[in-house]
Amino acid sequence: MRRLLLIHIIMLAGILSLAGQTPEEKYKQAGELYGSGDYSGAAAIYRKLWEEGYRSEGLLYNTGNAFFKSGDNASAILFYERAKLLAPADEDIDYNLQIARSRITDRFETVPQLFFVRWFDFLALLASTNIWAVAALAMFVASLLLALVFLTKSRARGRLLSFWLSLASLILAILMVSLAVRNNSLVNHNPRAVITCGIVTGRSAPGETGNELFVIHSGTTVTVEQELGSFSEVRLPDGNKGWIGSSCMEKI
Amino acid sequence: MTAFVFLLAGLAVAAQEVTLTVDAPESAAAGERFRIIYTVNSTDGQFTPPKFDPSFSVQGPQQSTSRNVQWINGDVKTISSTTLIYYVVAGTPGTYTIPAAQFETKKVTVSSQEKQIVITAGASSQASASQQQGQGQVRASGDAPSAGTDVSMKIILGDREVYAGEPVTGTLKLYTRINLSGIQELKFPDFKGFLKEDIETPPLRSLENEVIDGVQYGTGVIQRFVLYPQVSGDLRIEPAEMTVLVQERTGAKDPFFDDPFFDSFFSSVSTVPRKVTTQPLTIRVKPLPEPRPADFHGAVGSFTIESSISGTDARLNDAVTMTVTLKGTGNLSLAGEPVISFPQGIEKYDPKVTVKSTGTASGSKVFEYLLIPRNTGTFEIPPVSYSVFDPGQQKYVTLRAEGFTINVTGTPGEDQGAAPAYTPGEDVKYLGQDIRFIRNGNVRLSKISAPLVSGLYYWLWFALALFVAAMVLLLRREQIRRNADIAGLRNRKAAKNARSRLAKANDLLKSGKKEAVNTEVARALWGYLGDKLRIPQSEITRDKCYSALRDRKTEEEIITELDRVLTATEYSQYAPVSEGESPDALCRRAATLIGKLDGVLD
Repeated sequence: MRRLLLIHIIMLAGILSLAGQTPEEKYKQAGELYGSGDYSGAAAIYRKLWEEGYRSEGLLYNTGNAFFKSGDNASAILFYERAKLLAPADEDIDYNLQIARSRITDRFETVPQLFFVRWFDFLALLASTNIWAVAALAMFVASLLLALVFLTKSRARGRLLSFWLSLASLILAILMVSLAVRNNSLVNHNPRAVITCGIVTGRSAPGETGNELFVIHSGTTVTVEQELGSFSEVRLPDGNKGWIGSSCMEKI
Repeated sequence: MTAFVFLLAGLAVAAQEVTLTVDAPESAAAGERFRIIYTVNSTDGQFTPPKFDPSFSVQGPQQSTSRNVQWINGDVKTISSTTLIYYVVAGTPGTYTIPAAQFETKKVTVSSQEKQIVITAGASSQASASQQQGQGQVRASGDAPSAGTDVSMKIILGDREVYAGEPVTGTLKLYTRINLSGIQELKFPDFKGFLKEDIETPPLRSLENEVIDGVQYGTGVIQRFVLYPQVSGDLRIEPAEMTVLVQERTGAKDPFFDDPFFDSFFSSVSTVPRKVTTQPLTIRVKPLPEPRPADFHGAVGSFTIESSISGTDARLNDAVTMTVTLKGTGNLSLAGEPVISFPQGIEKYDPKVTVKSTGTASGSKVFEYLLIPRNTGTFEIPPVSYSVFDPGQQKYVTLRAEGFTINVTGTPGEDQGAAPAYTPGEDVKYLGQDIRFIRNGNVRLSKISAPLVSGLYYWLWFALALFVAAMVLLLRREQIRRNADIAGLRNRKAAKNARSRLAKANDLLKSGKKEAVNTEVARALWGYLGDKLRIPQSEITRDKCYSALRDRKTEEEIITELDRVLTATEYSQYAPVSEGESPDALCRRAATLIGKLDGVLD
């Protein structure tokens, strides 16, 4: 009984000491584990931080690395994709993602996105949703102020300038709002998902009755088109569609 | 010699006589089948079988005839014979007499000899020829080859529970209690799950005597081998099969030499093939424990390792040999080569591997690495680290062999014969591919904040800003409008005010206050200009007025006239009245001017 109590106390102390760590300390600890070769240990801590709601491109990038090193390519790709949403221009993430992709089973002829969609998405991801939102609001207020100047100032020259400036900032404000909305949908409601099961059969209908259409393996990135119960209709990178179980994938 | 000739002659004469011979074993075990063979040197005649004992169960006869034509010294002889074989099983032990059989031809009737046969209890009584008589009751048991057989074979294994890859020595041994004349065919099972390596075994020439459970056996090792289990689990070794040639005495007794010595000398001994199999065996193979060290390459056993090098001072492009020797007992043939990360700049070829085995699973394996330095400088060959699994200690043991430092001297390009491995302008060599390292710098981890755009409040801010702007605009518009009203009023009343001032000036003129007239005229003009041009009185100057008038496309004459009148009013204000223009005239001029300006400015 006494020993049991002691064990409980020790366990509680352990939990408290772990709970007492700041996220930055945990992050550092995971980095040390990674350095010493305990990749799965590092991945567990990183993932825990992610689940607690902490976000930083460094955290996501490291999580991807730890998963890659511990052999879980699907999770590595998942976290690299997530990291890419926070840092679209990061060259290291692109490089590692490309290596992780080269280690998975499925190869696809990817249908490339239209160039302006790509540019727009890139622009949208350069800042976070809320930065875009606040900037858009500021730009809108500036546009209104300039419009007021235009509408009330009597001097001809200043009026013209303020009119064009007001128009430009209004357009910028609209652009920024749409970037904020796009960023939100990319970061918080991304339709893409990574297959986590080893092998999944895509069927023509939700459930087990549909005809088998294709077989995909873990690590493949798909786009979720719609969900019905525990099944999702996904679009493969080459454009084909099929229904698979929602439990076999994790959204980005 | 003469006796031998006589014998042959006698046989030649006797060949014409009809003889009936019987061949039966002297003893047989109860329940065991034996043969009784009758041979008669004639083909036509009637054979009457003997009356067998009722306890015998008899099958047969199996009858065969043969005819031989011989030429001997020009004489043609025809020898024909008939053989009848009875297969007999005796039920109860005892001594029995097989009565004579008869053969009746047209001319004569011949009888065979009577035969005594001893039936012993049990199968084992038919023991090896030398000791069968008198002691027929020996029973084989225990570790001895399976009971009831006089020839058997067994696989003896060194160990029945091993780790995967751990060598197991095996011996295929023959046990016999009867005379064997040879081994005809040996078929090993396919040893599923094992790698089998034969050990050189001297061919079996003589049997050794071995007593197992009081029974003497002649034993001999047929084949020694080593098994390396390749998979874990309970592995079954299927029986091995062998055909041995058993010597069996089937020869007929010669009627003339009924003597034990001659009997054994002349009776023909036939060799009968017999199939012998081993018992199936099971070996429990334990898997190697996980995790395996990175430098484990499949070596299981107890080993030592050492390394040597042909020389540590080398010339450019001259080969250096590094040798790593693995010594000990274990699965040498399966031990993979050690992975040595040779420095860049030294070209490495695949090692030459030689295995020197001493008998069983022990020996040494030599890896010879041919190295060719392609760059000058000092190169460090790291120590060799090689892990093996030691079944004795039941754990992985990491063996280390020393590394070397090689000094390479020479002038590049000196040796034209060698392949120019490093030429200027060569592409960078990429050795492998890996992900980039993690980021360990200071990070600011912040929790995700709810996106503003998905909340209604954010959009309300836009509405609020728009509302405020609209309000501001509305208020400002109102103010402007009001201001504009005031200015418009003054504009409209400007001429009226000016005229009333001028009228007042006329009144003053009539009353004789000439000084005040000028002031009033000036006031009338400035007031008019200020109201019409919307310039506050505090800011008004002549220049401002003129430029404003010019903006409104006023004729230059009017501006000049205005200037003169203004100058005149100022002048007359400060100069004596007599010297300046008469106030009367000034009043009139001012009135005319205002009239003109009104025409322009309205």
